[in-house]
Amino acid sequence: MQEEPLSVSQLTQSIKSAVESGIGDVCVVGEISNFKHHTSGHRYFTLKDASSQISCTMWRSRTLSFRPEDGMRVVAQGKVTVYAAQGKYQLECAFMQPEGVGDLYVAFERLKAELAQQGYFDVSRKKALPTMPMRIGIATSQTGAAIRDMLTTLERRFPVVSVVFRQTLVQGDGAAHDIASAIHELDAANVDLIIVGRGGGSIEDLWAFNTREVADAMYNCNTPVISAVGHETDVTIADFVADLRAATPTAAAELATPTVASDILYGIDITTDRIVARLRDTLHELTEMAESFADGRAMRRLQERIAMRLTRLEDMRTRFTRSMLVSIQKRESATEHLRSRCQTLHPMAPLARGYAVVEKNGLPLPMHGHLQPGDIVQVRRNSEISTVEVQSIDPLPESK
Amino acid sequence: MKSKGNTPEISLEDQLKRLEEISMLLDRGELPLDEQLKIFEEGMKLAQVCREYLDQAKLVVERLGGDSH
Repeated sequence: MQEEPLSVSQLTQSIKSAVESGIGDVCVVGEISNFKHHTSGHRYFTLKDASSQISCTMWRSRTLSFRPEDGMRVVAQGKVTVYAAQGKYQLECAFMQPEGVGDLYVAFERLKAELAQQGYFDVSRKKALPTMPMRIGIATSQTGAAIRDMLTTLERRFPVVSVVFRQTLVQGDGAAHDIASAIHELDAANVDLIIVGRGGGSIEDLWAFNTREVADAMYNCNTPVISAVGHETDVTIADFVADLRAATPTAAAELATPTVASDILYGIDITTDRIVARLRDTLHELTEMAESFADGRAMRRLQERIAMRLTRLEDMRTRFTRSMLVSIQKRESATEHLRSRCQTLHPMAPLARGYAVVEKNGLPLPMHGHLQPGDIVQVRRNSEISTVEVQSIDPLPESK
Repeated sequence: MKSKGNTPEISLEDQLKRLEEISMLLDRGELPLDEQLKIFEEGMKLAQVCREYLDQAKLVVERLGGDSH
């Protein structure tokens, strides 16, 4: 039975679906020939062996971790497609590695390329770390140096923090799943940041940190994550996804606590010193102002005002708690200093600098009321008292 | 979830910010003397509270149970 003839397009379409669904994703080993890196960024080449060849493309969006050259033997992964316009089939490569590198290396590079393309490593989505975290989540093994190093470092730098420790497997079967669960649990445990890591080891030992599962857990974590896997030279997928990569667990604990308790204490000391000094300066200024007045009345007014303020300072001092007093005494007895300042305001203090005080019948002259010609007064100087008779009185213009 | 006995009601970070603010206000010296004395007192108390808190702080480790162990 003869059927209706197919159009070329219909035939090509059947071939296309047969090839694409029948073969699909493949991994091919072969030799590169005729490699062209087009200005568009796409790559075109042929893979061949002794008796066959296949056209290949690798689009610009795919990353390559090496420079392909003709004659190089590679392992390419991708899918076979049909290019209908030219009736050609080809391999669309998603990933390619020189042949002979280890399987784990290939898997690492493949996942890295894939996640990079999906935006897992984008700088724009990295979360900022808190400057003063109060709760730090840690996911690592219960045994081993990593947890010990981190706790020691945190205790030394910023013992104010609470650590929420979720022990995990860090290698072997189930490690990747356990680490991912730990990240989820810590993310829900109201911590300010999470450190995920382990000590050094072989690439196999560190493998859990090169898995999609851990990458996903980190990527979807709402809390900032620091990765701390192995030694400085070990780099894992987790390091790329984390908001911050620390070279070692100890370094992670340091990065997690940018503010150190001893620095804060030092800062508090500096600040309190400045506060005390500043207040002392203010009162000192008032004292000097008073001393600069030669006029007895103006000076007395100022003395009263200062005395009032010093009384308030005293009131305040007595309201202080015991610890407050201890603190003040520690800071070179600031209050005592103020009190000695107060003594320099004694009415007789100016006598030492050559001024004289006029008294009548042994008492200071009253603020109001005038002297009369013929009044007998005493002039008190630093080391003598003279008795004098007032000859004449001339009022001064009222001065403020 | 607040588990730490010695955690101050106001966060350490906020207390330190206030202390710094007090220091700045006193530096400027624009406030009336009474007000300066008041914040001086506040600042000294704050400094003492923070200092004691930091001096006495001990790292607290709480465990989060994993289901697979």
